[in-house]
Amino acid sequence: MERRAKRAGYLLLLPSVLLIGVLIVYPAVNTIYQSFFEIRTQTAALGPKFVGVKNYIRTFHDEHFWDTLWWTLIFTVVSVFIELLIGMGLALIMNKSIPGQGIIRTAILVPWAIPTVVSGIIWTQFFSQNGIVNYVLKVSNMIGESLNWLGNEWLAKLSILIADVWKNTPYMSLLLLSGLITISKDYYEAADLDGAGKWKKFTRITLPLIRSTMSVTILFRIISAMRVYDLIVAMTGGGPAGRTETVSMYAVNTYFTYGNTGYGATLSVLMLILSVGISLLFTNSLKLKGSV
Amino acid sequence: MKQKKIGKKIVCWLFVILFLFTMISPMLYMAFASFMTEGDLNHIPPKLIPSVWTLKNYVAAFAQQPLLKYVFNSFVITIIAMVICITAGCMASYALTRTNIRFKKLFLVFVLAISLLPTITLINPIFKMYSKFGLLNTHIGLALIISVLDLPMTIWFLTAALKGIPVSFEESAKLDGANLFQLFIYVIIPLLKASIFSISILVFIGAWNRFLLSQVLNQYEQYRTVVVGLTLYQTTHTIPFGVVAAAGMITVLPLMILVLLFQKNILGGIMEGGVKE
Repeated sequence: MERRAKRAGYLLLLPSVLLIGVLIVYPAVNTIYQSFFEIRTQTAALGPKFVGVKNYIRTFHDEHFWDTLWWTLIFTVVSVFIELLIGMGLALIMNKSIPGQGIIRTAILVPWAIPTVVSGIIWTQFFSQNGIVNYVLKVSNMIGESLNWLGNEWLAKLSILIADVWKNTPYMSLLLLSGLITISKDYYEAADLDGAGKWKKFTRITLPLIRSTMSVTILFRIISAMRVYDLIVAMTGGGPAGRTETVSMYAVNTYFTYGNTGYGATLSVLMLILSVGISLLFTNSLKLKGSV
Repeated sequence: MKQKKIGKKIVCWLFVILFLFTMISPMLYMAFASFMTEGDLNHIPPKLIPSVWTLKNYVAAFAQQPLLKYVFNSFVITIIAMVICITAGCMASYALTRTNIRFKKLFLVFVLAISLLPTITLINPIFKMYSKFGLLNTHIGLALIISVLDLPMTIWFLTAALKGIPVSFEESAKLDGANLFQLFIYVIIPLLKASIFSISILVFIGAWNRFLLSQVLNQYEQYRTVVVGLTLYQTTHTIPFGVVAAAGMITVLPLMILVLLFQKNILGGIMEGGVKE
C-alpha cells in the first residue's frame, strides 16, 4: 500500500518533471555548451567549432556589450529602488482602513494586467514630440521648446524608467501588502503605550517583520527587471543608435539577426551567471520561502 | 482637533483621487484615443477626449493586420497553456503534499530556482529543437513552453492550497474504495476549486502577455499572437496612434474583463502565491 502510493506520487510528478526537463533544463544546459563554440547560421554547414573561452574573452573587448550591461544594471537598480519606495508607501496606505479601498485595489490591477507592450505604446505617445508630457512642461513654463524624449539617450532612458515604474509598482505594492497584513495589531498598540512615534514604529516593527517578504519581492523584481525586453522594444526599439538596448535585446539580435549562435549563447550565459549570483545573495530569504 | 480630522480626511481623499488618476489615466487615454479622428489625434494642444467619436480606427486596425486571427491565436495558445499548466500543477502538488515521495523540498526549491532563469538562456535551443520537431509556428509548441514558464508559480500556489485542506476528506473516499483518478476528480478538484480558479486567471493573464517567446517562435502571421501583432502597426514613419490604440484596446479587452469580474481572485492569487512565507 505504502509503496503503491509512493509510485503514484512519482507518476504524478512525472509530467512536471518532463516538461521542466525538456523545455527548461535541457535548453539551459545546451546554451552553456554552445557558448564554448563558434556557431554561425551562415556557416551552419561547417558545423560548430570548439573555441574554448574565446567567446567570453571577446565580451571583454565588446564595447557594445558593456554599454548594454551598464544600462541593464542601471535600469534594474533605479527602477526597483523607486518601485520599492513608492510601492511601500502604497502598501502602507492600502493597509489602513481608508475610503475607496475596493476601487484602489481594482485600479492597481490595471497597470499590472495589461501587456508591457501596450504600456510601452501608451507611454511612447505621452513622450512624443506633440505629446502630453511636452505640452504640460511647456504650459508650466519648464521648457521652451518641445523635447525629443525618445530621440535623446538620457531622456529616452528616463522615459523608459517612468513607464516601467508605472507598470510594476502596483505588483510590488501588492506583494508588500501581503506581508503587512500578517503583522498583528498588538505590536503597534504596545508601541503606542510606550509612546513610539510613526517613524519609530515603521523602522522598529514594520520593517523587521516584513523583511523576508520584502527581500523575496526585491529578488523577483530584480530578476525580472534584468530581463527587460518588451518595454524597450515597444518604446525605442533600442534607439537612439542602440543606446537603450539591453543585454536581452543584444542577445536576441546576436542570435536571430546576426545569426551568431555561439556569441549569443555567451551573452545569455553571462546573464544567467549574474542572475544566479544575485539570487545567491538572497538565499536566506529563499530558504524561508522553501520552508512553507 | 476636529479641524485636524477633517483636514486629514481631505488629504486622504486627494490621495485616493490622485492615485486612481495615475493608475487608470494612461489606459483611459488609450481608450479615448482609439475613438478619435486623425484631426483630434494631431491636434495641438493634445486632445484628451474626442470631439467627434469615430470607429474608423477599429476598422483600420482589423484591415491593416489580421487582428482577428491574432486574437484567435492568443486565445487558443493561452487556453492550451492554461490547461497543461493547471493539470501538471495539480498532479505535482498532490504528489508533493499527499504522498511520501522523496526530495519534495528539493523539488520545490528547484522549481523556484528555474523561475529565476532569464528567458534568453532558453530561447535559442528551444528554437532549434522546435524547428527540428516541426513545432515552430504552431499553437501547441508555443503553449507548451509558456505553460512551463508559469508552472513554478502554479505548483507553489496549489501546494500551499492543498496543505491547507485536511486529509480526512480523502480518507473517507479511500475507504469507499475510490482509486486515485476518482479521488482526483471527485474529491481533490472540488476541494481545490477556488484555488484552481484563481491561479488559472493568473496563468491566463501571464500567458496572454508573453512577448519574447511568441515573437521568436511564432513568426508566421498565421500563428502570431496579438501582443506581437500589436508591434507591427508601427511600420510607417508617422505612427498611426489611433489605429494602434484601437488594436491595443482589443488586446486588453479580455484582460480588463477578467480584472473587473474577478479582482478578488486575482488579488488573492497575487498576494497568497507571490511571496508566501
